[in-house]
Amino acid sequence: MNTNLKISNVTKIYPGCVANDNVSLEFNSGKIYALLGENGAGKSTLVKILSGVIIPDEGEIYLNKNNLKLNSPLDAKKNDIGMVFQHFNLFETLSVFENLIIDSDEQRESLREKIDLIMKKYNFSIDLDIPVLNLSAGQKQKVEIIRCLIRNPKVLIMDEPTSVLTEQETSELFLSLKKFSEEGILIIYITHKLKEVMQLCDEVAVMRRGKLVSVSEIKNENIESLANKMVGQNLKTIKKKKAKTSSDQLIKITNLNFTSEDPFETNLMDINFSVNRGECLGIAGISGNGQSELFQVLSGEIISEKNSIEFNNSYIGNLNPQERREYLMAFSPEDRLEQAAIPQMKIFENVALNNFKSSNFFNNGLINENKIKEHSKKIISDFNVNTDNIELKSQFLSGGNLQKLIIGRELITSPDLLICFNPTWGLDVGAINYIHETLIKINEQNKSIILISTDTDELLKLSDKISVIHKGKLSKIMNAEEVTSEKLGILMGGAN
Amino acid sequence: MIIDINFIGLIIASIMASAVPLILASCGELITERSGVLNLGVEGMMIIGAISGFALMTVTGSLIIAIFGAMLAGVLISTIFAFLTQTLITNHVATGLALTIFGIGISAMIGKNFVGIPGKEFPVLFENLKDTIPLIGPILFGHSIVFYFAFALPFMTNYFLKKTKIGLIVRAVGDSPVSASNQGIKVRLVRYLCILYGGAMSGLAGAYLSMIYTPQWIENMTGGRGWIALALVVFSTWNPIKILIGAMIFGGLTIIQFHMQAIGVRIPVQFLTALPYIVTIIVLVVISRDSRKIRLSTPSSLGKSFHKDN
Ligand SMILES: Nc1ncnc2c1ncn2[C@@H]1O[C@H](COP(=O)(O)OP(=O)(O)OP(=O)(O)O)[C@@H](O)[C@H]1O
Ligand SMILES: [Mg+2]
Repeated sequence: MNTNLKISNVTKIYPGCVANDNVSLEFNSGKIYALLGENGAGKSTLVKILSGVIIPDEGEIYLNKNNLKLNSPLDAKKNDIGMVFQHFNLFETLSVFENLIIDSDEQRESLREKIDLIMKKYNFSIDLDIPVLNLSAGQKQKVEIIRCLIRNPKVLIMDEPTSVLTEQETSELFLSLKKFSEEGILIIYITHKLKEVMQLCDEVAVMRRGKLVSVSEIKNENIESLANKMVGQNLKTIKKKKAKTSSDQLIKITNLNFTSEDPFETNLMDINFSVNRGECLGIAGISGNGQSELFQVLSGEIISEKNSIEFNNSYIGNLNPQERREYLMAFSPEDRLEQAAIPQMKIFENVALNNFKSSNFFNNGLINENKIKEHSKKIISDFNVNTDNIELKSQFLSGGNLQKLIIGRELITSPDLLICFNPTWGLDVGAINYIHETLIKINEQNKSIILISTDTDELLKLSDKISVIHKGKLSKIMNAEEVTSEKLGILMGGAN
Repeated sequence: MIIDINFIGLIIASIMASAVPLILASCGELITERSGVLNLGVEGMMIIGAISGFALMTVTGSLIIAIFGAMLAGVLISTIFAFLTQTLITNHVATGLALTIFGIGISAMIGKNFVGIPGKEFPVLFENLKDTIPLIGPILFGHSIVFYFAFALPFMTNYFLKKTKIGLIVRAVGDSPVSASNQGIKVRLVRYLCILYGGAMSGLAGAYLSMIYTPQWIENMTGGRGWIALALVVFSTWNPIKILIGAMIFGGLTIIQFHMQAIGVRIPVQFLTALPYIVTIIVLVVISRDSRKIRLSTPSSLGKSFHKDN
């Protein structure tokens, strides 16, 4: 049976921002649709309207010519519209099965049978009786998908499903999505990864600043054309000039170990590496192989032995992040909203959090607000953060703008070393370009970078040397020119 | 020294009796907290229950009206809390503290006319079976209906949370109100109902004190039991069965105090009063060593306000 979903003249206005501006779109089952757009273009808003979470100010939704009144998520479910949200919508402390039964009207036994059937059919394997917080990101995603499939949806919406998945998990997901599509489920797929769009989708709609700007077939597009449509101008391709090799060592890690008490964390074993001035060391790996532990050890969130980290001829392994900053290190953690910034605080307050001694943000224990605000304005203009209101709460910045703010905050102290962890996840191509340019510039100024990333393309683009982390162990350090993404892939899988 | 076996039975029974109000109020508060709401007003709701029960009993003469009236009074005062924290999105801690202060004040005001009035005898069940079995008899038989209800309540609460759909929804709301709302669960409604239920149970706990345990009205007669009930919920790591154990320990402390004094062992009263809180802190320290365990047992959204649009 054919499914036809029609969005007609939908508008949603937030104070100070038109999230969806008179958007009309039509979808038919049998195809996979991509929805593209920069950060803040209004993609999530549009699909949240389709799933009843947000009520539009104007406009109608039609499913097979029936006008739907979607006033709550329940209405969308009743009309067989399923959605996997951008941020997981699971109950972490409840078991997988409890997460699934909560919005189902079926009996325990029959639901279990149904779930087993679904898992068999699509080759999922998940223990239904452990709490969700013990699952990997890929498994959580599968739970969300199963939750939708239980209701035999006609429409399945996925909002940036792969930003937290490994490549292996991503290709598994694509296989399933193609199967769903063949079975007649209409699929709407949001992503920032244009490669994925080319691989998976049949049609693509692009949004910019709340407006729909183009609808086209994938066969008429390529990665560059899509990127240009999203940004509205031609994106320059950036390339790193080969750095003049310096032999001036900046940081040296010797025999660094970390053993966690938490069985779900990775232990770091015998880490050794060094980075010279003006160099970018990339650390590749499938997520969950010790990257976050490594970042924490390097940033001082986890303290190690004094002699294990030598920075600028001082031993600093036992110092906390604040003290390490005084030695001119800077950090950009993976989780922008939880670790790098405090979402409920204003932009300028978040800037002050990088409480650097020479910044003079505090005089005799008092906050020097003027100084901080002046400084924040400088970051906003230097780093192209798309707002002029430094009183805005950070949670209302789009991912890309928040990331620019954080990198800007870290760099304004002109550190000798910047350590970043997945600095571009969830960002649109324009923002990624900007961050990449900034990182290249840092190296050009003879400053160093340690780039921990799960994005192989990014690593190959930016690194001078690359190492791979697998199960808490680092591979030998290779020169970036000798490395291909195939070779990285093999090492990431654990081969020698 | 010969210890009469029935005497031990009586001591255990009296410990159980002193545990009753703790169990009732804690089990109520446990449901409230499982939905993510921290209501520090237990002491206030309990004392309102105590005066309402006693006053209604004196005025109407009906024990049934008095018991249900006390529960209703608990519901009414907790409605204030629910309206403030859920509809007007006020801070849970501040509102709960205000509720306690309000409850203590208003109960003292109403209670002025009831000081010194003798209570009524509350009927007990299975009185005749008390002497049939040594030791067990005095423990099991000859108690009020509220007593039996209290000891069944932790098991019913456990069943409700673990086995029923509504119990699952309560836990889900406490885990992540945002996810729950996105799944179409009416978070505010669920939290309202959990708060009102907690109020009813606190009200009943108060009525037990003023109508059954010590049938009279004395100002401030809850004497901090509301706070102990709150500590108990934490002590139990939000597990109703452990509430039962904790209530016996905490209730036992008061009783043992009497008997120790009788044998001549002197421990400062203040120390015994402080003991429940000390034990709770120790338990907290012990469980928080295991971060996964505390994550799994604590309602993740406890005490955090939920706005629909963010
Ligand atoms: N509750 C809100 N209040 C005010 N503004 C909001 C709110 N929610 C979203 N916005 C704004 O609406 C715009 C569209 O947001 P939306 O989340 O739909 O973007 P998006 O295209 O999904 O971006 P991303 O790729 O970063 O996920 C943004 O500018 C955002 O700041
Ligand atoms: Mg989005």
